[in-house]
Amino acid sequence: MARSRRDQELPHAPLHVFLGLATLVTVYPVLWVVSIAFSGRQTLAIADVPSDPTFLQRLRAVVPWPQQWSTANFTSVMTDQPFGRWVLNSVVVAIFTTLLGIFLSCTAAYAFSRFKFPGRRAGMMSFLISQMFPGVLTLIPLYIIMVQVLGLGNSRLGMIIVYAATSIPFSVWMLKGYFDTIPKELEEAAIIEGASAGTIFWRIVLPLAKPAVAITALFSFMTSWNEFILAATFMDKEDMYTAPVGLRFFVGGFSQQWGYFAAGSIIVSIPVVVLFLYLQKYLVSGLTAGSVKG
Amino acid sequence: MQSRLDRLFAVLLALAVLAGAPLPASAETEVLVWHAYRAAEKAAIEKVAAAYSASHPGVKVTTLAVPYDAFADKISAAVPRGKGPDVFIYAQDRLGGWIEAGNTVEPVDFFLDKPTRDRFIPSTLDAVTYKGTVYGLPVNYKVITLIYNKKLVTTPPRTSTELVATAKKLTDKAAGRFGLAYWYSDYYYHAALQNAFGGRVFEKGTAKPVLNAPENVKGLDLLVKWIDEGILPAEPSTALITALFNQGKAAMIFTGPWFLGEIAPEIDYGLAQLPTLAEAGNAPMRPWMTVEGAYIAAPSKNKDVAYDFVKYLTDRDGARIMALEGRQSPSNKAIYDDPKVAADPVLKAFRTQVEVAVPMPNLAEMTMVWSPATIMMASVAKRSTPPKAAADKAQAEVLKSLSELRRK
Amino acid sequence: MTAPSHRLRFLAGLVLAGGLAAWLAHGFASDARRRVAADGEVRRAVVALRAVTSLVESSGGEGDGARRAVVAWQAGAPGVVQLRVARGMQLEASSAAGDAGGQAAPRRLAREEKPLYDRAQRIATAVRTNREEQGGRKDEVEVERLPSGGLSLAAPLDLDGAPVGIVELETAPLPPAPSTPWWPFLLAVLVPAAAFGLVMLLAGQRRAVLAVAATFLLAASLFVLSRGTVARIGEERRQAAASVAERVREQASLVRSASVSLGLPASAADPAGWDVDPFRRPRGEVASDGSVVETRREAAVEEEVRHLGRSLLAAALLALALLLLIGLGAFHRLGRTIKVNRQAYVYIAPALLGMMVLVFYPFTYGITLSFTDSNIYNTQKPLADLWVGLRNYGDILGDFAFAKKVEGGFVFNYLNFYWTLLFNVFWTVTNVTIGVTSGLLLALVLNTRALALRPVYRVLLILPWAMPNYITALIWKGMFHQQFGIINQLFQMVGLQAVNWFDHPFTSFLAALTTNAWLSFPFMMVVSLGALQSIPADLYEAARVDGASRWQAFRAITLPSLRPALVPAVILSVVWTFNMFNIIYLVTAGDPGGSTEILITQAYKFAFERYRYGYAAAYSVVIFGILLVYGVFQNRYSKATEA
Repeated sequence: MARSRRDQELPHAPLHVFLGLATLVTVYPVLWVVSIAFSGRQTLAIADVPSDPTFLQRLRAVVPWPQQWSTANFTSVMTDQPFGRWVLNSVVVAIFTTLLGIFLSCTAAYAFSRFKFPGRRAGMMSFLISQMFPGVLTLIPLYIIMVQVLGLGNSRLGMIIVYAATSIPFSVWMLKGYFDTIPKELEEAAIIEGASAGTIFWRIVLPLAKPAVAITALFSFMTSWNEFILAATFMDKEDMYTAPVGLRFFVGGFSQQWGYFAAGSIIVSIPVVVLFLYLQKYLVSGLTAGSVKG
Repeated sequence: MQSRLDRLFAVLLALAVLAGAPLPASAETEVLVWHAYRAAEKAAIEKVAAAYSASHPGVKVTTLAVPYDAFADKISAAVPRGKGPDVFIYAQDRLGGWIEAGNTVEPVDFFLDKPTRDRFIPSTLDAVTYKGTVYGLPVNYKVITLIYNKKLVTTPPRTSTELVATAKKLTDKAAGRFGLAYWYSDYYYHAALQNAFGGRVFEKGTAKPVLNAPENVKGLDLLVKWIDEGILPAEPSTALITALFNQGKAAMIFTGPWFLGEIAPEIDYGLAQLPTLAEAGNAPMRPWMTVEGAYIAAPSKNKDVAYDFVKYLTDRDGARIMALEGRQSPSNKAIYDDPKVAADPVLKAFRTQVEVAVPMPNLAEMTMVWSPATIMMASVAKRSTPPKAAADKAQAEVLKSLSELRRK
Repeated sequence: MTAPSHRLRFLAGLVLAGGLAAWLAHGFASDARRRVAADGEVRRAVVALRAVTSLVESSGGEGDGARRAVVAWQAGAPGVVQLRVARGMQLEASSAAGDAGGQAAPRRLAREEKPLYDRAQRIATAVRTNREEQGGRKDEVEVERLPSGGLSLAAPLDLDGAPVGIVELETAPLPPAPSTPWWPFLLAVLVPAAAFGLVMLLAGQRRAVLAVAATFLLAASLFVLSRGTVARIGEERRQAAASVAERVREQASLVRSASVSLGLPASAADPAGWDVDPFRRPRGEVASDGSVVETRREAAVEEEVRHLGRSLLAAALLALALLLLIGLGAFHRLGRTIKVNRQAYVYIAPALLGMMVLVFYPFTYGITLSFTDSNIYNTQKPLADLWVGLRNYGDILGDFAFAKKVEGGFVFNYLNFYWTLLFNVFWTVTNVTIGVTSGLLLALVLNTRALALRPVYRVLLILPWAMPNYITALIWKGMFHQQFGIINQLFQMVGLQAVNWFDHPFTSFLAALTTNAWLSFPFMMVVSLGALQSIPADLYEAARVDGASRWQAFRAITLPSLRPALVPAVILSVVWTFNMFNIIYLVTAGDPGGSTEILITQAYKFAFERYRYGYAAAYSVVIFGILLVYGVFQNRYSKATEA
């Protein structure tokens, strides 16, 4: 494939300016979190300006830079509580949620995309509808069904099922939309060559849908990664808690230890960034991935 | 072949044992306690639990910490379905709601003998009494008091006149310095003013709201006066007060024990009683007190043991650990005679302050007061509505919610 | 496959549907009979309890007088297991088997008697609360079914108009009532089936005739059945009223004779006031002389029967529907469809099942709740007792008071449903527009080939998604503080005025919007990045060859190709943003004055601040309905469910 498309590209300098600005706005609040985390204090950010501030004093006030650097918050977060253990619990739950979620939604989305059958529209709609009922009053019925009826209280399996089921509707819709863009001719050719439905799905369709699978993986992971209220309600042992539950011990109620919370937030963001770094190769291959004729 | 079968049998047996076949060791009674503590408080209650288990053979007290933000929901979901703990520790504000909902909190009136009753600061026991029945034992209390920066204030003010004078001297609005800072737009903090005038949310002994009682309006009037003196920062919030105090930009603040852990190490602070109000005939400011009670779950199977533990927790040994190691202010009166506790300026300051404190209402109906009261406070604090009109509006709002709730 | 005979299908349908209806009707009839019998039993016991209470009250309510009154009364009252009178921690009188000798009353209550003490406290509170609220909300007469089958009842002991203790009565279990016979219900199936056999012979395979005949036969049979059932239940209810009246007469004479033998003044209590509801309000079905007040009784019978009649009608309609479905071959076709499309259903079933487990029960629960007046005061009662029909919906949708006229203009009532809905829609549209535009734009730029530092930008740009939004949302709120917020500092650096962000609905909305846009664009960006990978490169190549401009290529190739992956993300983010509770709650908290509330935060407040669960559930259902309408229209427009 011809790579000499540079002449057609936009000039890079304005793009960098644009991206630089966007990144600055995006990162700025995050830098405050970092600054609070490393300040060794518990205070949320406020601009600290003297009376009649000069421009430079104002500038200093709006730059997220702690007065002194300290890792005390991180040390406390990791040693006060079994935070490492909780992060590990989160990782286990999130990984299995992702695997289960992707598996279930891939199969369902494939059927929605490729088969014509009565109830297809209704089925698709039912996934969408499931996202519409507001969750204000659903904690107690969920508790009844998961803990009382199914007996899945205080178990990772219960959380995995709940999170996977929560992430499925988006994943199904996303994957179905993506599968639709993959030409059917490829599969038809394979059928002529005698490939089974399973083979076609795993060997032909799925590899082509990698970007969508990467997105749904990230989405499923995040669904379970930051969830707090269900994990705190369903788990009855401290060593079963997940990281978001652990984080919330620092705030809430009367006392607000934002320094600890910020430090903990940074710790729990790292796995997400790592996952994204891993998945982004599926999202960046530029225009080449479109060559489905391969 | 035979040996393989034997092995299989042994494995099955082991599995059966693991799966909870009755063992002699499991004959002990387990008392499960839920709380929302962290750090020192958590360590303290775990220590009390261990001490109780050690001195009571056959009983094992275990604890579970639940984040505060999920705690009430978790109790409401789990306890009425028999899946919860034997004991849970929570502030009195949700008590009425759980009692009205039923099958959550066990009344302990029956257990409560005179010596136990007399052990508490009376108002803390009132806080866990709902419509004439005691539902838990008060573990500790929290009250707002005056905390000041010793560098800026040498003698804390005793009267509102002194307070305003001192605060005015220390205020430089343009520089973001304030003599006095507290979350005055929050009803909980404001209640100290209102109560000094004899104000109240509900008519005594009933669930009849009186948000616009003349005394309440007087409290709001005084707040407006303070705001107009220019001694208070705009748009107050806990985060703002913390930041101001830690930067040395707030000389005096009204806040409670929860704040102490957030004070920056370089700030030298002192605690003093809230001032008396000249405007209220020199009556002291009377903050609301929040009392954490230890309640027995209604479906608990070990209520007697659970009560015995709660009694232990609030008795001298338990209270001493909770005070000295958990940094709580126990409701137990006698503990303040303990030399170590008596020598602690912080515990002493709160003990003095609680004498004039008023239990925050524990009625279920209180939850429908907060929203209208918050709007009332915001509009008064921003000077957009006169106090009387704002209070009337809040009262009408609460009455409307109540009548809709009670409609047949 | 040969088509099975219409005749057989209708016959099978008739038998199955008739069987179902008969089974349901039998269940309803048994329930109604049990309820009527139990109500009668409870009322008779309450009469006895109230009678003895009046005797104890006239004896002074304590000491030997009370004990003698209990003994004298129990001697003449059959079916009583025990009677206890308690005041505070004191057991004043007791006829319980164990309470003799050393254990005899008066004495302090023992540990096992804690329930008695708690009950007394509860009832005293109930009396005070009802009086204070001038209504009936909490049970003053408590009735509880014991495991033995008997009843345990308690009523307040009043002295000088104030509750000082309770009288608790335990009755012996009644012999079980004969169960409802099955034969009328069996006949209701067999007779129409037999008749249909005749029709089959005459009508042959004519479908219309068969359908009409089967429907008619089943309907007629069920009609006759329900008439009979209703009549029988009405009769039993009348008998129950008569037995209560008889109990009133018995007790009146018992109290009279006991008063005489104990030397007490004649009781002032009116026997008509013994037959009371749980709030001690006379039911009025029995007159003071112990005769039945027929008008009131007939009204009660009507009530009872109407309830049953409605259930039976529902069962009959269900049966007729089933009959037609089977008769016309719907199930047959359904079975075939499943068989033909087996593979597709197998692929979908696990995901659907998982979702259903999670959604179905809360959903049904929410909808059911929305038709009730469930609130904090009545959570222990069955939902059927709290039924209010569409009242909650009427209250929500029928409130048009979104502005109030005051002197000098209008004041908006921000808490009104329609105002909140308007804001909610505005909030959703702006958020999704900004989120999608910025996400897509960034993705397009990031997709630029050979742009340096791309991976760095990408990772930094997803950080808002990766961080827990609990803290970042509050950082944003802090940045909007009027004096110490960074935004206002920046404004002042460039010479602008500081803004009081949360003082005005619009600026408050802007603060929330900024925060939410910041939080949500990374997701859209990632989705767009993925969607861009689905565009075949040769399309651009072809466009270039055709001499299309970059803009033309974007319009003709990029946008249409992005659609399949982007549309689901847009639809779902509309749904999520519509219900974006956290951001509103954390950033504006509705400020100022509730003007930036959205529907879900309102529903939350109704449930957890005003304790009106039924009303909040109706709010949720309305939200759901709005989104559903949106979903259906959007789907019709975008055809996203099509292959």
